[in-house]
Amino acid sequence: MSDPVSWLLGLSAFLLFSIVIGHVLVALLLIVPTWRICQRAGFSGALALFHLVPVIGPFIVMGVLAFSDWPNGEAGAQRAPAGR
Amino acid sequence: MGAEIAALMGFFGITGAFALIGTVLAGWMAWRIVEKAGLPGWTGLGSILLSLTAIGAIVPLILLWIFAYMRWPRDEPAPAAPGYAPSAGSGPSPSPRPAGPAALPPPPAALADGRGWRLAGPLGNGGTVSLSVVGGSAAYVLTSTAAAGPGELIVPDSSVGQPHARLMTAGSRLGLEDLGSPGGTYIDGARLLPEHGPRDISAARVIRLGSVELALTRA
Repeated sequence: MSDPVSWLLGLSAFLLFSIVIGHVLVALLLIVPTWRICQRAGFSGALALFHLVPVIGPFIVMGVLAFSDWPNGEAGAQRAPAGR
Repeated sequence: MGAEIAALMGFFGITGAFALIGTVLAGWMAWRIVEKAGLPGWTGLGSILLSLTAIGAIVPLILLWIFAYMRWPRDEPAPAAPGYAPSAGSGPSPSPRPAGPAALPPPPAALADGRGWRLAGPLGNGGTVSLSVVGGSAAYVLTSTAAAGPGELIVPDSSVGQPHARLMTAGSRLGLEDLGSPGGTYIDGARLLPEHGPRDISAARVIRLGSVELALTRA
């Protein structure tokens, strides 16, 4: 039987590793569609990487998409490329 | 024991308050985002509120994927200018597009305008490019490839795609359609996307293909 302290350290390291991997996997499920949404809106797709930031990351991405003007145009105010 | 319960209640109260604020904020932002895409705002709010139900986060996640890859009403082609029928077979088409209204013939009383168009401007390597487009009814592919085939106009610049865009003439009007090149196509500074389809540029002054700005004039 090994030292219980090192056993606990190993267990906590494993748990931490599992949490990080799980977070990255969930973030990937959000990053892929958000990357495309950002690109269609005219922003850099890399903006979607904010999903990697725990808790507030998705709010940052949504805030940028919701409260800034889309470079590729928005419904209603759009038609700029052809509107003349 | 009472102190521990009170502390736990306070903790869950704070957590619940943050969750409530986060949900309201997310619903508001989702409402605005889907409205910018042309969808009714309540669909965005509804997808956020779904995460509060027993369905959990799975359905909003699926809806997020659907929203990312669906056709947005914002990108629906505007009513096409009469006279434009996207040419078939004169270049790759980035995506299937629903058939637009049939091309209308020019008015019988209209005088024939045989003048062409000229696109000219500087290149990134210091040279210049000048393209002539004859009037009538024809389609040209703008490309940077060195070996041009029939119906291709060369803009020898690395920022121009192969192919980059399509020019269409119909009577005295000139149309432009982006073919999805990464460098982008701009009409007087406004981005033209493949989803927009062919657009009338008869009154435009400057066309940008990648980093090449071309002044549009009548020949």
